[in-house]
Amino acid sequence: MSMFTQAGIVLATMLAVYVAARLFRLSTELGMLAAAIGGALVGGFGLPARHIAEGAATYLDINLIFVTATLFMNLLKESGGVAFVVRAILQRFHRSRVLMLVLLTILLLVPGALTGAGSVTVLVTGSLVAVVLHYMGIPKHKAAALVFVNACLSAAAPPVSLWAMMTAAGVNMPYVGFFWPLLLPCLAAGLLTSFILGWKGERTDAIKALAELPVPPAGMNWLRVLLPFAVFFGLVWMGRQFPHSTPIIGLPMMFAAAAFASYLLSPVRLEFFRISRETIDQLLPLLATLTVAGILVQIMTLTGARGLLAVTAVTLPVAVVYATLFLVLPASEAVLMWGAAPVIGVPLVLLFNARGLDPIVALAGMSLIWPLGDALPPTAIIGRLTVEIVGFKGAYGRFLRACLVPAIVIIVIGTLMVIYSKKLGFLTGL
Amino acid sequence: MTTRLLAQKIVVAALGLALFVSAGISFHRSRNLAEPVVLGPGVTSVKKLGEYFAAIRGTVNDCNLYFMEGREPGGTMLVLGGSHAEEPAGRLAAWLFVENGTVEKGRVIVALSANRSASTMTRLGGAYPPDFTIDTPSGPRMFRMGDRWTNPLDQWPDPEVFIHYPSGQELAYVDIRNLNRTWPGRPNGTFTEKTAFAFMEMIRREKVDVAIDLHEAELQYPVISTIVTHQRGQELATMVSMMLTDNEDFKIGTEFSPLTLHGLSHREIGDHSPAISLLFEAPEPFLDATRGITSREQLLTGKDEFVVKAGRHGLLFEEIDEKGWPIAVRVGRHTSSILQVAETWSEDNPAKPLAISGVPRYAEVIEKGVGAFLQDVTKAGKDRLAYE
Amino acid sequence: MVTLFYYALVAFVSLLLVVNLVRSRSWERDVLYVIVLVPFLLRLLRLK
Repeated sequence: MSMFTQAGIVLATMLAVYVAARLFRLSTELGMLAAAIGGALVGGFGLPARHIAEGAATYLDINLIFVTATLFMNLLKESGGVAFVVRAILQRFHRSRVLMLVLLTILLLVPGALTGAGSVTVLVTGSLVAVVLHYMGIPKHKAAALVFVNACLSAAAPPVSLWAMMTAAGVNMPYVGFFWPLLLPCLAAGLLTSFILGWKGERTDAIKALAELPVPPAGMNWLRVLLPFAVFFGLVWMGRQFPHSTPIIGLPMMFAAAAFASYLLSPVRLEFFRISRETIDQLLPLLATLTVAGILVQIMTLTGARGLLAVTAVTLPVAVVYATLFLVLPASEAVLMWGAAPVIGVPLVLLFNARGLDPIVALAGMSLIWPLGDALPPTAIIGRLTVEIVGFKGAYGRFLRACLVPAIVIIVIGTLMVIYSKKLGFLTGL
Repeated sequence: MTTRLLAQKIVVAALGLALFVSAGISFHRSRNLAEPVVLGPGVTSVKKLGEYFAAIRGTVNDCNLYFMEGREPGGTMLVLGGSHAEEPAGRLAAWLFVENGTVEKGRVIVALSANRSASTMTRLGGAYPPDFTIDTPSGPRMFRMGDRWTNPLDQWPDPEVFIHYPSGQELAYVDIRNLNRTWPGRPNGTFTEKTAFAFMEMIRREKVDVAIDLHEAELQYPVISTIVTHQRGQELATMVSMMLTDNEDFKIGTEFSPLTLHGLSHREIGDHSPAISLLFEAPEPFLDATRGITSREQLLTGKDEFVVKAGRHGLLFEEIDEKGWPIAVRVGRHTSSILQVAETWSEDNPAKPLAISGVPRYAEVIEKGVGAFLQDVTKAGKDRLAYE
Repeated sequence: MVTLFYYALVAFVSLLLVVNLVRSRSWERDVLYVIVLVPFLLRLLRLK
């Protein structure tokens, strides 16, 4: 049997098991796990415990970031800090819609840009912004879309863009020259998104909104809210400014330090253990998806299913690749999340390089499109998180439809960046 | 809690425990698998890397350094295997020097596991086999399959971005655990940076003239089947490449180390010591992103239908057909290249010659196989046996 | 020092996962808790 047939059978089996699992009303995570196990069995590898556990460990560090960042946000919320900030923003800027939208966009872009994770944007500033958007008369599904698309762009934005970093590492290319090719389109697309989704709405009714908003506990002030953020950004700044004279702290510990500061500064006494336990409960689907995605990538790699996908992708004519980027990148992200960078990104960058394109600008363009897949099943991880954080209770499809127009804008920008990467090479400054 | 709920939890927990125990035993075994090394006739002493930098002493990266002292004085050559432990031809070629080589003039220092920590784990998501076996006339020899990066059990956490010392160049955060991105290292840095620093100290103290870093690359990577050289080694590398292409049955190119690309051995060893630094790349289809089934067989034969298909579409920087890239071919390229460097160096530097014998060249390794040059462990005396 | 903090963090998250596993009332969530727990325990016991 040829390798193509063998890997094809494995891939088909994985797909069939996944669909069957979903028909039996199993969750996405269990469906992916079942698909991985099915693939291993059909591929003739039995139940490969080592590979399952190794795959499960792939995103351990990212899981730690999610846990500590969410804990930080939850502590801030319970201390009344979030309510305090929302009230303050409303009181100060409610008269200018343009200014509100610009400020909120920047607020959304910063955390993901610094951490490389769109979910951090959703968790750190997404919930705050969503409340403000609500009182600007923007319906919840549109507010969720605004937060989500900006979170996507924040993840792609420099200095930390994990897709670009992982792909660059995969082709042994230094992560240099990406700053402007990533920043300019992210900023432009972010503002466009916020105005497309947020321009229409009612006049911000600050008085009514303030009456409805919870009142923060006595003693809450800007210092208590901002100091934990200052701790976080201060540690990030320190690591970048003095990389060789300070210890390596890592994002989880930075968030943990911010969480601890938030706990200490709370005007009310917080039940640390209960909040931690509830954070884990709240994050279980996210943690499980990441863990199971790691298992799935490992089994796909073991059985050749990953190679089959990759070789099929890279042997398509370049024009077809251009024309299908809008589908291939978000779809690969939806299935593999950051695993899409090593699986699809590496062969595509090599293909573009071989065809004489500028690999940095092309990869930056791709990095813009990739995170859009975070709203799509089977994982839909950031999309689901956003909907949950924003508190949109309607059908998920309605949220997706709201994302469509900004997503098309981003896809067009990203694809044009790939096609004209050679001409845009000056952006790299190299 | 109802009995049913309790029973359900016990079953689920037991399945998790089974997974944990079974995988845990496998991980523990591969981290602790001892690889025997028969000290060949040329090995005059075995030192430790920690002797050159105390912070490495007793750690997992306190690797063996095999000293092969010639009868006559001459130049000093360093051969680094296992900078990237997922590139087995680099380690095995170095192994053949230690188990077979004799040095008549000058001195050769060999490391088989330059980043030993990286050889104690396999890549997350990579589905690598934990080990591989080379058949020898005296029975199978098992080797650890490793990773590109230092094991997180030895260096954790990663930063949010890796800023290389001393250049300040930004690199992917995981590469802070990549030995071949952390050169020249620093004494108060991360574990991997300390390892690089220890090697730099050794290179300076032992007055190494030529440092060779052995690697393998995926066929989709443009830097392949080549010698990457520091600017001070340009003449040497070009001549070696010409001699090999003329006299042996394989092609190898020359590339110059980019001045602004930092952290790699071919740049930093040359910049921070008097040694000429060279890096060899052999083709390893196992590393290709388009590879098919990830298995020991693929690792050792280099046969892969998917990679062949990628080649037919002009996506590769090296040729591949159904014969693949067997391990003997990859190891043979490295042994011949090292031997040719010694010969060309000696011609250019008659006052500091390097004369090595007993190590098989390209054609001989292919004809007899790598295993033919791995000695019988059972017949080696205790004092002639080391472990990696 | 920083590394020790990370092991403590992994231990704390493992504890939270176990506590939630005991309290959970759905078999699907039980399975997810266990699968998420495995890599945490592997790191805690310095196996992976």
